[in-house]
Amino acid sequence: MKSVMLYALSTCPFCKMAKRFFESRNIPYNFVDVDLLPEEEKEKTVAEVQRISGRRAFPVIVIGEEVIVGYDELRIREALEK
Amino acid sequence: MTSERILCPVCQVAFPLKEEKVPGKRVVCPVCGAVLVLEKGDASWVLRRPQDITPEEEIRARVENFARLRGYRFNEMKEPLIEALLKKYERYGDFYCPCKIDNIPENICPCLETRQGSVERNGRCHCGLFWK
Repeated sequence: MKSVMLYALSTCPFCKMAKRFFESRNIPYNFVDVDLLPEEEKEKTVAEVQRISGRRAFPVIVIGEEVIVGYDELRIREALEK
Repeated sequence: MTSERILCPVCQVAFPLKEEKVPGKRVVCPVCGAVLVLEKGDASWVLRRPQDITPEEEIRARVENFARLRGYRFNEMKEPLIEALLKKYERYGDFYCPCKIDNIPENICPCLETRQGSVERNGRCHCGLFWK
């Protein structure tokens, strides 16, 4: 099974929808609420998000090698099935 | 008659104010939809954010005005996003975009990319508050 990583913000509704998507389908995933991290770790994580997605906006979902910026259910499904 | 341009303290865009200038008059920014109050400053007229409404009333009026001005619509995402914007206001002092990490002026809702037409290009704003 592909690894799933969700970079989220605790204030972002689409991030919550992404969490619900994985949970309701029992898809194992890791996530981090970036805004709740301690300052130094937050900066590092945001830099990583910016490097992989080109943006400082959330959610960013990494499924295997694929990076999905924003909540796009169709792309998530496709990436999981590939 | 030329109309004086006046700066919106929310989106920082100066727009022409054609209406009669009366202290305390409510004005809606035609760029971001913010509800503002006209006041006489030291040298000229200024617009300020209203102090007599709650943060929730302020952001609700602003997003409603912006959607009306641009012809956008809302859906079931609206209420969670209003809640999220209020959370940002409580935590960081202004209505910064709930889906962006940087609490900076260009991310105040409606954020710069939304004011610059991202809804036209993508069908919705990044957060899903405004829809085409």
